[in-house]
Amino acid sequence: MDVLKEGLLKVDPGLLLWTIITFAVLFLILWKAAWKPIVDALDARAEKVRSDIENAEMMRIEAEKQLAQHKEMMDKASAEVASIIAEGKADAERVRSGIIEKAGAEAKELSEKVKKEIELAKDKALSEITAEVVNLSTEIAAKIIAKNLNPDDQKKLVEEAISKIGTVQ
Amino acid sequence: MIHLLHNVSSFISSGGHGEEESVSDIVMHHLTDHPIVATDGSGFFTRFIHELNTTIFSQKFFGVFDMRITRWVVMMWIAALLCLVIFLPIARKIKKAKMGSSSKWVNLWEVLVSFVHDEIVEPNFDHHYVKKAMPWFSTVFFFILFCNLMGLIPGMSTATGNLAVTGGLAIFTLLGMIAVGMVKQGPLWIFTGVVPSGIPIVIFPLMWVIEVLGLLIKPFALTVRLFANMTAGHIVIIIFIYLVMMFKSYFVGIGSVAGALLINLLELLVAFIQAYIFAALSAMFIGSSMHAH
Repeated sequence: MDVLKEGLLKVDPGLLLWTIITFAVLFLILWKAAWKPIVDALDARAEKVRSDIENAEMMRIEAEKQLAQHKEMMDKASAEVASIIAEGKADAERVRSGIIEKAGAEAKELSEKVKKEIELAKDKALSEITAEVVNLSTEIAAKIIAKNLNPDDQKKLVEEAISKIGTVQ
Repeated sequence: MIHLLHNVSSFISSGGHGEEESVSDIVMHHLTDHPIVATDGSGFFTRFIHELNTTIFSQKFFGVFDMRITRWVVMMWIAALLCLVIFLPIARKIKKAKMGSSSKWVNLWEVLVSFVHDEIVEPNFDHHYVKKAMPWFSTVFFFILFCNLMGLIPGMSTATGNLAVTGGLAIFTLLGMIAVGMVKQGPLWIFTGVVPSGIPIVIFPLMWVIEVLGLLIKPFALTVRLFANMTAGHIVIIIFIYLVMMFKSYFVGIGSVAGALLINLLELLVAFIQAYIFAALSAMFIGSSMHAH
């Protein structure tokens, strides 16, 4: 036990004082020259990293908002496009049916006109024929008169002429 | 420095020569402190320290303090010098490289400083005081770490394997607890602040005595814990090596050297853990006297 007390477990006041002096001096030097700048720099870096992460988070949220906006715009645009196409189709349909209707009406008008013209031409032809018949009859009458026909023959001729006209008509 | 190391190692090897020396003598020789004494082959530093020891420090200061420079004092100085040599350039480099240095050397120490910051100081102090407490606990941690690790280098010794050294460090913790308590909670803290509030007035004196005793026991426990941990490993290593001298056999030599190596590796871990524990407990004790219980 004496060995321990004098050796291993001995607390030498001189060594104690040296420890305190050494440690205090070391602390003062390191405090001013090492720990202050190191801790400052590490804190500044930690602060920077923190703010960078915060910024990134903010930017992410912003980007998400913009993405949603764009999506909405795209949706709107495609809906608009669809409505425009539908409108165009409807317009085209209307125009088509309009054209067909118009063409039909025109054709009808044309045929009406043609019919009228035919009628007119027929009337004209008939009146011309009638005039011709009158001339012919007159000529025939003159011939008959000239030949001195008997009344029977004359009657026969007139009837003949009239029936002729009837068939022409 | 080389001369000093040479001297120190010859100093150690001289202890193992005499066969008649008992194992206890050898172990004691390695684990106890001796004033530096110059011999004929000593280098400049040893002679210089010897000169100091025989002149300025030959008298005891105030009749108590034997200030002769001993092995342990020299070891502490080497550890302190290591701290300065490592951290002064590191501080300059970290300050210069704002975005973080790419040097592995700088990053290694930066990780350890961050470790002190995150694991030792931050859990025990309010956010506002972390920056103020950092220098103190960084110094405690790295000084003890270097002292511990130096003992694992053959020819050197562990200054922290001595009650006077660990006691000196623990006195700082005690003073820190008292000073922080007095400053943060008023000068009457030592009378009222140490006792948990809300206890009956009758048992107040009893509680006060217990708490004050606790205040003293905490640094005492720090002292003994660090000393015992650092000493125990060294005793085992020395005894393993001593087995070779005892048996004078190659087979024992192989076994004992392997055993000593194993314990040495374990001691690497213990050196780090004990530095952490000393600093962390100091931080806990000082941090807890910031607020009333």
